Amino acid sequence: MTRYIMVADLRRCVGCQTCTAACKQANATLPGVQWRRVIDIEVGSYPSVQRVFLPTGCQHCSDPPCVEACPSTATRQRDDGIVTIDNDICIGCLYCALACPYDARAKIEAPVFAYGDRPTAAEAIRFDAGRIGVAQKCTFCVDKIDAGLAAGLTPGEDSAATPACANACISRALTFGDADNPDSRVSRLLRDNRSFQMHEEAGTRPGFHYLWDKGALTP
Amino acid sequence: MALNPIQAEPAQRVPTYCYNCVAGPDLLTVKVENGVATEIEPNFAAEGIHPANGRVCVKAFGLVQKTYNPHRITTPMRRTNPQKGRDQDPGFVPISWDEALDTITQRLFDIRAKGLLNEHGLPRVAATFGHGGTPASYMGTLPAFLAAWGPIDYSFGSGQGVKCTHSEHLYGELWHRAFTVAADTPQTRLLLSFGSNVEASGGVCAVWRQADARVRGMKRVQIEPHLSITGACSAEWVPIKPKTDGALMFALIHSLLFEHPRQRLDQAFLRDRTASPYLVGPNGYFLRDPETRKPLLWDERSGGAVAFDSADAVPVLDGGFTVAEAIEVGADDELWQHRDVRGETTFTRMAETMRPYSPEWAEGVCEVPAATIRRLAAEYLDAACVGETTEIDGIVLPFRPVAVTLGKTVNNGWGAYDCVWARTMLACLVGALEVPGGTLGTTVRINRPHENRLASVRPGEDGFMATNINATTRDKWLAQPTGRSAHRTLVPLAGHSPWSQALGPTHLAWMFLKDAPVGWNGGDYPEIWFLYRSNPAIAFWDTRQLTETIARMPYIVAFAYTADETNHMADILLPDATDLESMQLIRMGGTKFIEQHWHHIGVTLRQPVVAPQGEARDMTWIATELARRVDLLEAYNAALNRGAGGMPLKGEGFDFSLDPTEVHSVEAVWDAVCKAATASLSGGAEVKDLAWFREHGFFVVPFKQADWYLHPTMVEKGLRYELPYQERLMRAGRELGARLHEHQITWWDRQLAEYEPIPRWHDVPGIWVEALKKTGAAPEDYPFWGITTKLMQYATGNNASIQLMDEVASNLRSHGRVVINRAVADRLGIGRGDWVEVRSVVNVTRGMAEPAEGVRPDTIVIAGQFDHWATPYAKTLHYPSLNTLTPMSLELTDATGSGADLVRVSVRRIEGPDA
Repeated sequence: MTRYIMVADLRRCVGCQTCTAACKQANATLPGVQWRRVIDIEVGSYPSVQRVFLPTGCQHCSDPPCVEACPSTATRQRDDGIVTIDNDICIGCLYCALACPYDARAKIEAPVFAYGDRPTAAEAIRFDAGRIGVAQKCTFCVDKIDAGLAAGLTPGEDSAATPACANACISRALTFGDADNPDSRVSRLLRDNRSFQMHEEAGTRPGFHYLWDKGALTP
Repeated sequence: MALNPIQAEPAQRVPTYCYNCVAGPDLLTVKVENGVATEIEPNFAAEGIHPANGRVCVKAFGLVQKTYNPHRITTPMRRTNPQKGRDQDPGFVPISWDEALDTITQRLFDIRAKGLLNEHGLPRVAATFGHGGTPASYMGTLPAFLAAWGPIDYSFGSGQGVKCTHSEHLYGELWHRAFTVAADTPQTRLLLSFGSNVEASGGVCAVWRQADARVRGMKRVQIEPHLSITGACSAEWVPIKPKTDGALMFALIHSLLFEHPRQRLDQAFLRDRTASPYLVGPNGYFLRDPETRKPLLWDERSGGAVAFDSADAVPVLDGGFTVAEAIEVGADDELWQHRDVRGETTFTRMAETMRPYSPEWAEGVCEVPAATIRRLAAEYLDAACVGETTEIDGIVLPFRPVAVTLGKTVNNGWGAYDCVWARTMLACLVGALEVPGGTLGTTVRINRPHENRLASVRPGEDGFMATNINATTRDKWLAQPTGRSAHRTLVPLAGHSPWSQALGPTHLAWMFLKDAPVGWNGGDYPEIWFLYRSNPAIAFWDTRQLTETIARMPYIVAFAYTADETNHMADILLPDATDLESMQLIRMGGTKFIEQHWHHIGVTLRQPVVAPQGEARDMTWIATELARRVDLLEAYNAALNRGAGGMPLKGEGFDFSLDPTEVHSVEAVWDAVCKAATASLSGGAEVKDLAWFREHGFFVVPFKQADWYLHPTMVEKGLRYELPYQERLMRAGRELGARLHEHQITWWDRQLAEYEPIPRWHDVPGIWVEALKKTGAAPEDYPFWGITTKLMQYATGNNASIQLMDEVASNLRSHGRVVINRAVADRLGIGRGDWVEVRSVVNVTRGMAEPAEGVRPDTIVIAGQFDHWATPYAKTLHYPSLNTLTPMSLELTDATGSGADLVRVSVRRIEGPDA
């Protein structure tokens, strides 16, 4: 079996938003829509304060509440764990967004562009009308994964088969791969370091793991 | 425009580079679909070559929007409104390139007819380029035109000289060829970072290396008034009162000297690689051999004073001794002849100077607990591994995995001398300077050759490196400034390299246009001012007033991307082809600027990924046309042949020189540079042409890691670092004072006081408070320190008009906001998102409040440089800017000609941005 997951090493993340920008370009999301983003969290009170940068987005949960909430079956889960949305089926009701504990979904009712009503040449060539009026979120760059697999590549190892955010990460904070492969980088990272999942209490079993504290290094 | 056109061609990925900040170049590829650039991606071909394995900074992702920004200037424009000012519509109208260049050419011909220098000996032509030399990676062959022209005044800064890491540049290069300093991050175990925001401004190489180091176990302690991006990623945050870093560092030195056994210091390093054993006489100068004038040290073996370079001498590090016969050489060759004179080692002088600065004393200054200071000193000493070695490239080197880095406002402006000196001494005390794990220089810019730091190390006087310093003696001092910042006249350490003008007090050039001191011949306007990738009306200080000064510039030619606050006053706008539209080959690798330590060295090509928008033209075409039209073609081509395109076109075993009499195409020029660069790098083994580079993007050869460190070169040449005692600078300062007073110049006297041989603590923050009082303001009316910080999305890149940068930066709390301590905000009735007005004696800026715990109660933080009123998109944001508030002030200018991003401010809640 295959279970694609993302591992975010919070010791490495510097909140630079390179993943956010790379995701926006790779997936041509409209201004204001961020399938991947890094949030800026402060804990404690002066002078004992910690500030943490936390990459987030769709967690591709093993038990995704969005799938259960979706009345049209537009949101589904693949065998490899990736949660997808079929734009042709989605009715834009956003029950999925309400069910998601991770604030991972967005909906755009009308086209918006970087500089006013008219798209730039780059926006025009990448514009996807099918995304208007429906739910949207991170896909783990599923098209790229599938194209890479078809070409015999390994997601998480070969850049041409790896999500844009992990490819672009400038601190190696984001690592993508197959958790069911014990030799994958994500498996080794989870094995060798302490980790947690967001809102574990919700029982969604996210496919997004955070390394934190002082575990051993796996290069 | 049609949406979602049919994909007619397969997407291409074109290699190029981004050098929008000084931490570049980032190697990237651009996805091009049907002739349109759509996506920036890492250049994975650079895995194992680039220190961040070809990853690309977030800023580069803005290049797609930058290319297609509908607000771009896409034709040459001419101003029709002769009135200039913020409130004036420039009335720009499109013109042809011919008309634009003819107009400029006529002006330039008129200037050449009158003479390149005006009646005060100042260049009639001035030019200003943006941050940290980065425009040089975009301006194509413009440097060849500038070289062909002759004297040009680069004094009118847009921040350079005062907002850079200025004192680090000047003192760093003097002491260890460290125009820029970095930790040896891959090996450091403890990094004390005084406000160095390396995670935001160090580029991808710094972020990659620092992340690896953190996971490896390196401890970074971030010492600064607020919890910055870098502080967030550090093991410990130590909040410190602004501008008191020097006091804390002095206390660290005090603790190392007086609270730990001396034998735990690296005494061999101090004895052999520094001037610590040199003896100082009663007048404060080195005791010297009367015949050779060589500095003396006390030889334990012979029990007497001997010249510093005496073979077999065993120098004594600490103590005072009676020397039978010696001389001191003071300013202007003043001579003291001594018999049986008492001399102390410079180490002893240094230790006695540091003796009063205990951790308890520092706590009273910095508001950092003495126990914390004492612990940091102990951790530093423990981690230094004094006595250990490591092998690099077959060379056994000292291993000292402790480093100290400094950020802006720490290493520029008053107090910066203290900090840079103390940082370098902290390294020297444990032998951690220029060795694996320690504090390293990366770049030289004042000394030559710029591209080889180790080759710039040449023996000079007194056992130190020879250094490019401006003369202060009566016969050689330049009384008449050669540029309006008077860098050679006022700042000995600025030297006289091509970079030196930008290292002078560039704000003086602006200030003196408005109000020059009596008798000062530096206050007249240039007749034509060229502007490229720079917006000083936003990026400098006291920007409202500066804007008025800019409006009085007689004639401005601005290479213009969009309208902005400076080119609002321009007479001609020239649309240059931007990052993804134009061509240039630049050097990369080796060691340079911020955390760039490579295992390779080479060159990389920026190439037209897509066609230029509108009538935008490649800078090389523009430079060639200017040269041709001003009858400077031969000189221009000769400059290119000498290396003005980045490397000489002729060298040992190769000659790709251009015919000086011909006009060469953009492609022909860069083809020659590509071939010359590869021939030079490979020793003639490989010659790669432009076509090869357009496909492959970069070319490298190996670079030894041992060459990251100056130590082997210093040992080989038998040289010492010029520390701890600044005899030469003291002499230069006294001579400079004499020269200035001989010319009735007394307005630089305060700066002259900084030429101390060993820095002592002065109330540095108090300088700002005193300056406030002198304006007639009451300090209690401005109770906060206003400081700034960087975010990577904007750090040193002009991204203010890029929507993508604004959007992703908005995920960070400080973007576009006024960060204020939460308890203080509560007390003032200020909530998150409330509009606030921040006021200094200079001006007012407005923005939304962001209460936070990670900031001292006495400090306000405003990130980035905004307050735009002309730049499209940016002017709609209503983001605040510290630059609006910060004064340009002689009183707040240090001896190196630098200032700091620091200002006393008040804060109050208001109803909205226009309140």
